[in-house]
Amino acid sequence: MDYDLGAQAEGLRLRLRQLVEERLPEGFLGAFTDDPEDLAITQRFCKLLAAEGLLAKAWPTEYGGGGSSVWEQTVVREEMWAHHEPRGPQYMGINWVGPAIMRFGTPEQQAQHLPAIAAGDVIWCQGFSEPDAGSDLASLATRAAPDPAGGWRITGQKVWTSYALMAQWCIVAARTAVKAVKHEGITMFLVPMESPGITVRPIPNLLGPHHLNELFLDDVSVGPDDVLGQVDEGWSVIREALKFERIGIARYARCDRLLTLVRQALGERWGDVPEALRARWTRARVHTRAAMVLAYRVVDAQAKGIVNDADASVARVAATLCDQEVAEVLLEALAAQAVDDGHTRHHVLHGAVEDHWRYAQAATVASGTIEIQRMLVARAALAGETR
Amino acid sequence: MNLELPETAIDFGASAEGAFTDAGGVDLARRAEGQPGIRTEVVTPVLEQLGALDLQVADDLDTALAAGELCRVAGRCALPYPVMAVLASGARNQPPAALVDPVLPRADHGDLFPRWRLAAIDGAVWDGRPEGRPLGTELGPFVVDMAVTAVDPEPVDVPMLLTLSAWQTLGALERALELAVEHVTTRHQFGGPLSRFQAVQFQIADATVAVQSLRELAHFTLWRLWTAPLDRLVDALALRTYALESAHGVLRICHQLHGAIGFCDEHDLSILSRHVQPLLRLSAGLEATTEQLMATIDHTGFDSLFDTGATARAAQQR
Repeated sequence: MDYDLGAQAEGLRLRLRQLVEERLPEGFLGAFTDDPEDLAITQRFCKLLAAEGLLAKAWPTEYGGGGSSVWEQTVVREEMWAHHEPRGPQYMGINWVGPAIMRFGTPEQQAQHLPAIAAGDVIWCQGFSEPDAGSDLASLATRAAPDPAGGWRITGQKVWTSYALMAQWCIVAARTAVKAVKHEGITMFLVPMESPGITVRPIPNLLGPHHLNELFLDDVSVGPDDVLGQVDEGWSVIREALKFERIGIARYARCDRLLTLVRQALGERWGDVPEALRARWTRARVHTRAAMVLAYRVVDAQAKGIVNDADASVARVAATLCDQEVAEVLLEALAAQAVDDGHTRHHVLHGAVEDHWRYAQAATVASGTIEIQRMLVARAALAGETR
Repeated sequence: MNLELPETAIDFGASAEGAFTDAGGVDLARRAEGQPGIRTEVVTPVLEQLGALDLQVADDLDTALAAGELCRVAGRCALPYPVMAVLASGARNQPPAALVDPVLPRADHGDLFPRWRLAAIDGAVWDGRPEGRPLGTELGPFVVDMAVTAVDPEPVDVPMLLTLSAWQTLGALERALELAVEHVTTRHQFGGPLSRFQAVQFQIADATVAVQSLRELAHFTLWRLWTAPLDRLVDALALRTYALESAHGVLRICHQLHGAIGFCDEHDLSILSRHVQPLLRLSAGLEATTEQLMATIDHTGFDSLFDTGATARAAQQR
């Protein structure tokens, strides 16, 4: 038994921290702000990572990746998330859109899309949720009808679509057939966001700019070659995508960084923090470690090709609850300074704690609610299929 | 990275569990309450036959993992024997070692050995001996008041004791959860199994997350004891804190899901729940352990992605 990530992975970690230190402005909180320069920073950072072969580190070399181990990719995920995701919205393309195209795409789709993702040239968004299809995603009603002239015409409404105003492409789930089983008859489409008929409306929200949008598709034309996977069999793509997404964000890494930084930032005032709260901070440190080793178990299973829904869900429940616990502990520790977007006179860590708290509110909602995760865990436990 | 337990540890744990089951499983603990002699007459020979009492936990990680597995399967059946104390003694002819609260030193199964080595969390060690018979209470059937006789200059491996106690707790929680799953899938109310209710499913899910998390942290911590020698205490206290938190949550859920039958001694859950209490309470409970952890983090740090533990700091300075 050995939990050592190895010299190569640790070397990678040091290099990433060096890049973060040198190339990101102090107090960088990610691309999802009202300042367009923040998006530009992430685009430059992605190019930088791509130039060093770090952006798609774990992708196979034939797809423009570095062919490295999943553990090195884990290090990339940890360092990027811990430092407020300087890849911006591109992490999604790397983490699951790319792998889904590798798994289900045609050679032409792979040739078109994968090098662009690996080079840091493109932002993808995800058109899954709809006003009447959230956790019950298979109830989605966006329709794709065959176009007599060839291809498909898509009409419907998507919602909660993160980065939709930034993205060049969207992976859209649409119904192509009405079948007795609602999971059947769904097809995935790769849709350029500049297509006529697409409208994006940002939704002002607690999480911050760009996190939530509405996406309207009004008779949007897509070609026959823009179907990902088989027609009517998009559910298997979605399932695969959600599996990748469940371990895609190393939430524990940002928790760990902020727990450590806030204590340092408070300096001697740490002793004035109520003891009960310091005890909660202490336990949060332990919970963060537990969330990390649970995530490692899933990564290990993924590397061996034996990852299952329940294990991924166990790790996700632990990580998302930890995220919210840490958010609450840190916000309390800052007391009156907690109200801070980074531009106030008395800011601490440039508003990182408030930013974390706001985004953490969605941790148990986004990418499959905690209720869905609990159902998956319970189903496996009751069937005697958990470890 | 290699997250798998070595085959030797897995096989040893499986053999031990088979032997404990053949000897009576949880029924050993149930019967021992009325016939405490069972502990030496039945359990000791089973452990001797397994070679369990000869495990040298200080030898290497693989042996320590086998010891961890032994403690885990002992926890699964509330084995009425101080396995952990014997394993932590360091050598076969040494007295067993226990962590105690110096204000009121007590040891589970303290009556089984004439001499003990009693350690406080700060590393102070005393020679001790049992003072009287087991208390025989519901939550401490074999807890014995201990008399401190002299200061012992030889150290006790406190982090190992804390870590093995978490592995034993893990076993108890694993088994309690299995019983709860069994109960909610076979107990029918309102025309179907309890497990079809989401309120029940979510509790099973939460307990499953807690048990799996504790297992991963227990594995990780035992590995850390070998690889980060200057962080042993802080790592072990973190695991102990997590084990105590998990125990409170998981046992509460398992009792709730069982309803009244879970309180009856004819049911294994009641025995597991009662007999695990000394493990959770004797040296320090959750809040006291958290305080100890907090103080230790102040002193040594807590190694993580963004914090540097004492071992790593020492390596950097070299």
